[in-house]
Amino acid sequence: MKHAVALSVNGDTYDVLISPNETLLDVLREKLGLMGTKKGCDLGACGACTVLVEGEAHLSCLMLAIDAVGREVVTIEGLAQGGELHPLQRAFVEKGALQCGFCTPGMILTAKAALDEEAKPTEASIKKKMAGNLCRCTGYKKIIEAVSSVAALSGKEG
Amino acid sequence: MRLPKFEYVEPKDLKEASSILSKEVGARILAGGTDLLVNMKHRVETPAVIVNLKKIPELSFIRTENGVVRIGALTSLKKIYNHPYIAEKLPGLASAASSVGSYHHQTMGTIGGNLCQQNRCKYFNQSRWWRSSRELCFKAGGELCHVVKKKSICYSSYCGDIAPALLVMNAKAVLESKEGRREVDLESLFTGDGKRPLSFMRGEILTEIRIPKEAHEGFSMYTKFANRESLDFPIVGASLWASPDRKNIRLAFTAVDRKPLRAKKAEQSLRGGFHEESLEEAVRLVLEEVKPVNTSLYSSSYKREVMGFLVKSMITKVMGR
Amino acid sequence: MGKEWSVVGVRLPMLDAGAKVKGTAQFTDDLVLPGMLHGRILRSPLPHAKILHIDTSKAEKLTGVKGVITGKDIPDRKFGIVPKAKDEYALAKQKVRYVGDAVAAVCAVDPETAEEALELIRVEYEELPAVFDPLEAMKEGAPLVHEDVPNNISISIRKEFGEGEKAFEKCDFVFEDTFYSQAVNHAPLEPHAAVAQFDPLRGEIVIWSSTQIPFFLRRNLATTLLVPESKIRVIKPKVGGGFGGKIDMFAKDFCACWFAMKLGRPVKFVYEREEVFIATRQRHPMYVTVKTGMKKDGTIHAQRFWAYADGGAYNSTAPLMITLSCYFLMVPYRVPNLIYEGHHVYTNKPVGGAMRGHGIPQARFAVERQLDKIAVRMGIDPAELRIKNSIHAGEDHPGGFIINTCGFAESVKKAAEAIGWKEKRGKLPFGRGVGMGGASFPSGVSNMSHLASGAVVQLGQDGAVTVLTGAADIGQGAETVIAQIVAEELGVPLEDIRVTAADTGITPLDPGTFGSGVTVRAGNAAKLAAISLRNKLFEFVAQKLEANSADLVAKGRKIYVKGSPDRGLTLLDAVKAYRYADLPMPIIGRGSWMAPAQEPTTLLKGDGNFAPNYSFMTQAAEVEVDTQTGKVKVVKMVTAHDCGTPINPLLVEGQLEGSIIGGMGQALYENVIVENGQVMNPSFLDYGFPTAMEMPEMEGIQVITDDPLGPFGAKESGEGTQLAPAPAIVNAIYDAIGIDFNELPVTPEHILKALRNKHGKTGSREKA
Repeated sequence: MKHAVALSVNGDTYDVLISPNETLLDVLREKLGLMGTKKGCDLGACGACTVLVEGEAHLSCLMLAIDAVGREVVTIEGLAQGGELHPLQRAFVEKGALQCGFCTPGMILTAKAALDEEAKPTEASIKKKMAGNLCRCTGYKKIIEAVSSVAALSGKEG
Repeated sequence: MRLPKFEYVEPKDLKEASSILSKEVGARILAGGTDLLVNMKHRVETPAVIVNLKKIPELSFIRTENGVVRIGALTSLKKIYNHPYIAEKLPGLASAASSVGSYHHQTMGTIGGNLCQQNRCKYFNQSRWWRSSRELCFKAGGELCHVVKKKSICYSSYCGDIAPALLVMNAKAVLESKEGRREVDLESLFTGDGKRPLSFMRGEILTEIRIPKEAHEGFSMYTKFANRESLDFPIVGASLWASPDRKNIRLAFTAVDRKPLRAKKAEQSLRGGFHEESLEEAVRLVLEEVKPVNTSLYSSSYKREVMGFLVKSMITKVMGR
Repeated sequence: MGKEWSVVGVRLPMLDAGAKVKGTAQFTDDLVLPGMLHGRILRSPLPHAKILHIDTSKAEKLTGVKGVITGKDIPDRKFGIVPKAKDEYALAKQKVRYVGDAVAAVCAVDPETAEEALELIRVEYEELPAVFDPLEAMKEGAPLVHEDVPNNISISIRKEFGEGEKAFEKCDFVFEDTFYSQAVNHAPLEPHAAVAQFDPLRGEIVIWSSTQIPFFLRRNLATTLLVPESKIRVIKPKVGGGFGGKIDMFAKDFCACWFAMKLGRPVKFVYEREEVFIATRQRHPMYVTVKTGMKKDGTIHAQRFWAYADGGAYNSTAPLMITLSCYFLMVPYRVPNLIYEGHHVYTNKPVGGAMRGHGIPQARFAVERQLDKIAVRMGIDPAELRIKNSIHAGEDHPGGFIINTCGFAESVKKAAEAIGWKEKRGKLPFGRGVGMGGASFPSGVSNMSHLASGAVVQLGQDGAVTVLTGAADIGQGAETVIAQIVAEELGVPLEDIRVTAADTGITPLDPGTFGSGVTVRAGNAAKLAAISLRNKLFEFVAQKLEANSADLVAKGRKIYVKGSPDRGLTLLDAVKAYRYADLPMPIIGRGSWMAPAQEPTTLLKGDGNFAPNYSFMTQAAEVEVDTQTGKVKVVKMVTAHDCGTPINPLLVEGQLEGSIIGGMGQALYENVIVENGQVMNPSFLDYGFPTAMEMPEMEGIQVITDDPLGPFGAKESGEGTQLAPAPAIVNAIYDAIGIDFNELPVTPEHILKALRNKHGKTGSREKA
């Protein structure tokens, strides 16, 4: 049976008709047209589908869309403010922390959740939190550098 | 992979939840979803009704009352290891919680969900198409166990990280249904039956874990040995608790049997005193009591090696403190 | 670098980095077309069986299903990237040859319905005996995977250089060892996908495919769909990693086009992760026996190889793979006498194809491991041994290779220094050790027809430059490198360049991304096109300035006389003047480039120089072995790397770093585990390639050699980098615990077993 629900994504309200068995990932991509969130394995083992739910990193392939009703969802599309890249996005570009770009949205959102939770993490802490996001291209080094550089920045601004 | 169809309910309180679970034979609880949804995509679990407990208030909490640490079953793993009291006084639990899956799994996953996870086997945790290459296994509704090639028996392993950490603390579980509430030893929840790993009564819901005062007066640790340092289930997970005077040691394991279990014979041998030979004896007794089989990609002989190593290293560490 | 370049040689982010971090970069599955349908493939659950009957009636009747096809419905046309080795149908006809072989396809209004429909197709099979090991498959009486291929040996090659077997008589020592490399999956984060659309009025198909080879794909589609190439347009969207696994046409490409044609609606196929593991491609498991004859002064005099590649059920790139495996044993060491016998053998298992290195990693593992063993047996330092046997630029080469630049010996020295070789080798406490491996890779293989690349560069009146190139960027940054080359030639910053690539309907021909040929081949084509454009402009400006065209320079958006920057025009003014002079706009330059070769020969027939140039590198690893658990921690990995000139050092670093983790995975973590033909770990969870937690300290050192044939001196840097990490790690394990491992992967279990049997014997070989 389909339910008519309102989903709050990136600050916008979307009225959609969904079945309970639709995952948040599939609804974001197929019903809301938000293609930035990627499907790498659909079984929660790669992090490519990461979105923020109430600011925390979630695997959208293992969430029922209906379970996201009433909770603020942020996808990669919601990160840049008014055309300005988020510092994490800028850092990934500048450090060369991406190649094919498929894991990138998930990486950036997980990094954001990590830094929002702990503004000055150690490199070990960054690695541990990012480790659920797999990358086959970069070897991770520049990704960790990019996240560390933003963490270092936030200290200065604080 | 798409999820099968199901009816979805968001009960507003425990009574309602319990009612539904009693009435509907095919109803399952949705907590974090990181175990259930994967199994549903694989079609090894196809509940007719899904009961989302997350909308019931007050199932997520961490409190200390009279020295007893009380944790709501829907408390996220991340909240548990970030809690200052738990991080300091129950390091074994904090360690176990922070070792589950990845950061995302720790964010979404709950203590109740992790404890009540489905057993695992390399022939079971596969897609329906994959499993169609062979006869339906006993756990999935068929007759044969592909691990031991026998009928009507299931050797799937319990692989949760939290259970052994709580078992060494002699933790209790609070089960609630519309009929009432009961408190049991956590240990009694696990049946040792691969096909039906948990012993809930109809309509019962795990709502709380209670950790006795004694646990935080002693010392606890959890060591997860896995292929990678993130995402993976344990190859062997081992937990230890020691009384302040180190005369009382408890050991528990996961991923080596059909349920998480305490190595009580080994514990007995360590009671009262410790010397070099005790280590070898403890290992011997553990391996006598715990017999892993080849349900995973890691051989049972390797698991035994790792168990031996973990026992020695944990005991050595705690004795050195 | 000593050169005054403004764009080439600069660390610059990729052109599409901004789009990728915003999530707006469009991958194949991100495409949505009006009325689009969704398809899924039904695959064989059996490793070898006759297809007796397929009942699709129930599936066809399911509401929302628009079409169901099986092998019976499609033309009798095989496909394959190497024409002489075509042996596969898009959907199996008559029999299935591995668990995962495509048997039927459905097309429905949504993915859920398509998935449901698969369940409703009933296939009746007659199971046949199957064979799972190549050595068994070659024996008399083994089940035949393809009826017309005796002994299951689909391709064999035998090459001999120098004196052959006789040369061993002149050797002071002869060593023989056998090695085994396992099946490895590319595991790109983006699963294989395709979207096809058909215009019935013009009879034209457009297909967007996550592919590395748009032009070859077009050809294979034309062949199998019975549609002329001129009526098929292949467009490559962003590709989320390939590593060789997206070379070849796949069932999804064919079926998407087929249904689009039959139903008149766009059709999308996306593979599940499980399908990527089981039913695409993998690195061939290979047995390699090496016999090496040494002179007592430590020089290699002769080598003989016997290689058996486990091909799985179909050929894919077999002839190319086995040949590359052979020829590239002649670099980076001087091997005056070489015999190579290689066989590609069918088994009823997942299909082997191109994977980063393409047959060379397996051979390289064998050579580098044996070199270390020889070093130990002869009492020579492994680094010294490598330097001693290194080939050098300009030397006569036993195989006829033309080596214009070679930084190998230097790379050995630099890698050794960076890892602390002298202080550490043989000197670290038990459980810690260092090891190294050398490698070399061709920048694209020259000796085949149809490996040319073209480019068109246009300069519009707005001063913006458009580049059309056939190059397939799969995340390595090919478009960026090409843009940098063009920008440098035209004297403009990178931001002035727009690249349109890999669209067979618009862009010039390019063979695709394989064999590491893109930078050299497509880069050179783009360079020539830019120069051609620049010449036209220079000719015009020279007149205006009353100067000589040859004295002009383009730099900083200006054109001026060398040495007199005031005597010139801005680019915009030059273009404006050009336009006002009624000369045709936009100004267009065209170029096309193919590696020089005496005559078109095929790799299998001719000898000679096989690549325009060759990269060289040495990787050195430091490891820590936990002798209680067998776990290996790679502490540090150093790569000293000669890619001629790095066009974009940031991107080259990315290749090095990614390769190290890839090589580490190959050495320690990865294995496509197969039981009775069935892949037991077809998931990211169970396949277990390294996460950020496993990342070692990594260091990259450039060895600049400035190649004459490469654009701006460049050579490849995409595949060679993944040849030596695995042997470097396994060599380091030897230094750490004194045990020789001859098989990959070296798992903790293997290490524990070996530690127990410590007197030299390794664990028993696990057959597939």
